[in-house]
Amino acid sequence: MFGNTINVLRRELGRIRKYPTYLTLMVILPAVSFAFFAVLFSEGVATDIDIAVVDMDRTTTSRTLVDMIGATPSNNVAYEPQDMAEAERMVREGRVLGIVYIPPRFEADIMSNTQTAVAAYLSALNITANGLVSKDLQTVVTTFSTGIQLQLLMKNGLSEKQAMAQVLPVYFDRHVLFNPFVNYGYYLLPSFLPMMLMIFALTLTVFSIGSELKNYTAGEWFATAGGSTGAALAGKLLPYTAAMFVMVLLMNTVMYRWIGVPLNGSIVALTVGGFLFILAYQSIGVLIITVLSNLRMSLSIGGGYSVLAFTFSGLTFPRMAMSPLLQKLSYIFPFTLYTDIFIDQAMRGAPVVYSIRYMGFLTIYILVPMLCLPRLKRIATHSEYWGKL
Amino acid sequence: MAGNRLKIKWREYVSVLRTEYGHIFKDSGVILILIFAILIYATVYSLAYRNEVLRDIPVGVVDQSMTPASRQLIRTFDATPNVDVTYTPESMEEAEQLFYERKIYGVVYIPEEYERNLLRGIPAIVGVYVDASYFLMYRQVFSDVVSGLTGTGAEVGFSRLLANGINAPQAEALVDPVEFELKNLYNPYLGYGTFLMPAIIIVIIQQTLLIGIGMIGGTWREFGVYKKLIIPGEKRLSTLPIVLAKATAYMSIYAVTMVYILTLHYKMFHFPMNGAFGDIVSFLVPYVLACIFMGIAISTLFRYRENSILYMLWTSIPILLLSGASVPKEAMPHWLYTLGKIFPSSSGINGFVRIQTMGADLADVRPEVTTLWILCFVYLIVSCIGIRIVLNRSDVR
Repeated sequence: MFGNTINVLRRELGRIRKYPTYLTLMVILPAVSFAFFAVLFSEGVATDIDIAVVDMDRTTTSRTLVDMIGATPSNNVAYEPQDMAEAERMVREGRVLGIVYIPPRFEADIMSNTQTAVAAYLSALNITANGLVSKDLQTVVTTFSTGIQLQLLMKNGLSEKQAMAQVLPVYFDRHVLFNPFVNYGYYLLPSFLPMMLMIFALTLTVFSIGSELKNYTAGEWFATAGGSTGAALAGKLLPYTAAMFVMVLLMNTVMYRWIGVPLNGSIVALTVGGFLFILAYQSIGVLIITVLSNLRMSLSIGGGYSVLAFTFSGLTFPRMAMSPLLQKLSYIFPFTLYTDIFIDQAMRGAPVVYSIRYMGFLTIYILVPMLCLPRLKRIATHSEYWGKL
Repeated sequence: MAGNRLKIKWREYVSVLRTEYGHIFKDSGVILILIFAILIYATVYSLAYRNEVLRDIPVGVVDQSMTPASRQLIRTFDATPNVDVTYTPESMEEAEQLFYERKIYGVVYIPEEYERNLLRGIPAIVGVYVDASYFLMYRQVFSDVVSGLTGTGAEVGFSRLLANGINAPQAEALVDPVEFELKNLYNPYLGYGTFLMPAIIIVIIQQTLLIGIGMIGGTWREFGVYKKLIIPGEKRLSTLPIVLAKATAYMSIYAVTMVYILTLHYKMFHFPMNGAFGDIVSFLVPYVLACIFMGIAISTLFRYRENSILYMLWTSIPILLLSGASVPKEAMPHWLYTLGKIFPSSSGINGFVRIQTMGADLADVRPEVTTLWILCFVYLIVSCIGIRIVLNRSDVR
């Protein structure tokens, strides 16, 4: 019974030896892509983003504030232009992200107990950088303002404790759940690496079947399988499935062991989820090449489909913000389900029960495309489907 | 004699151009990549990001205080644009369950002594639990909850000062001596589509060109097209006419799709269009040319039609990241960012976004324009060398 499968497997291993493309896609490029992302995120968070400060006051007080701004992790006071026009040009030239403006009479107003204001004009073209810089500026100006407030209140005869209660009548105690480092790498690596694996799993499947059609060898492939579709498919895909499973293990080791991405839940659930995820995309690959029976169209369409998945996972731009139709549509990408598993298990440490339903959905993606198998047999055994590019 | 040579080159140029168009438009896989991909991707991504920002993120408030003051605080949260108090669970355990079911994305805990402390003048501590597993939600929930709390704090402080007989302007200055005013330029509501779409469009142009040109280049080699086009009496095709003819074909196709994207598509999705038309064209010409020459250079590596998509599909996300358009460039190793400039997209995105979204002019993006022209020149030379090697090899065969 397994004889046919073994024969196909042997034949496939021969093909892999003969064409270096296979090994490149199975091992080399996935590893290269892992290395790329690991290096890209090796710094963690963005620090020292250049900004310009226009200090119209130039007093000890204003200089103190400028020093405080420069001392925050995100901000680097790179330029101190004379006026706003010059500062604005620097923003347009992309040399600084934004401008902090300290008005004239800044110190004098503070001394005379008149409210004054510090303005920040920040480019929002990159909302990530904007978020970091604005958060730090907000904190630093609030701290500065609070310091002055305390001094004023104590000058008016309040004790330090009384003054504190006056300054902060409501205080909050922040608990950042599940990603306390708030590190881009910890957050984006677990989605970019599987994204890469998915692209390779899908294109390998399409290519390994499609090239048989293109090169008129599909008949030989099914003959080796003794005409059994199951043996033909299992023997053919087994090497790629095995390679991709190894890559899932490597990926998890790289992230959770070497880089130190937080792992708050079950590594078993993540690994099983990863295997199902690979199988789902292989299955979809079989569907695409079987329906189109044309290597070139299948690669273009499969490629397009795989790259789209990231946006719809909702990891960066939440799904909740999309239209109801698109929210439903996001589930045509198994990647969305895998992302939900990863968020639950790696980040949130949710009980495994919450992830089991996502695994169940992934299984549907493995099984449903198999309905196309009768057609696969037809196109693989009828020469009129062969030889298309 | 020299005129005769020029005529032969011209005939070669024309025959390569005609064959290239033929290959592009007869190959549905290539049409999909070179023409439809940019239209489909631009539309689908723009639709996904259409709402730009996420409003009313559901959060839960565990109110142990159950007093007028705590209810007032809940109303303050509800009034903020990004947060919606959807549930008021009885306990933290209940809140946790709602959270795992993805019904809420943050929890605020108001302790029993909240109102009592406020009245006594002791700091009242409120617990804020925000989920950082979705970045954007984290930022919005956190900033709105905190502004609700500080706003309430300022009100309390202000009324206490008034009660102590201090006049209003003075009390205001005492509550917040130095105000902080934040103005977000060019994308005031921090819209996600406005932020990312221009960068995505520029990357799609480059990636579809690299993959599409690679497909055609692979086809030419797979079927020995270079030999078939040799003009009778000549030993082989000449290099420069091949490169220029190919570049003409792709440039003409992208000129059409770009006009659509920059006019109708931009209008349809209300992306900011602040650049002068002349500046945009003068910027995009070297950009598209650099992508084309890079594409021709890479295509000479591919022996089969399908190699280009197999080898290059995965690079789209890495290349987008390298430009610093999504993850800030300060977050990655400096050498990697600098190395990324070998891709036209790095300079292309930075320059285009500044022209089109900020309204910068060509002088403001001079470094980017210079880099793009240098890349054009370098990749033109490399593609000539590559084509020459391919021609030599096909001679041998």
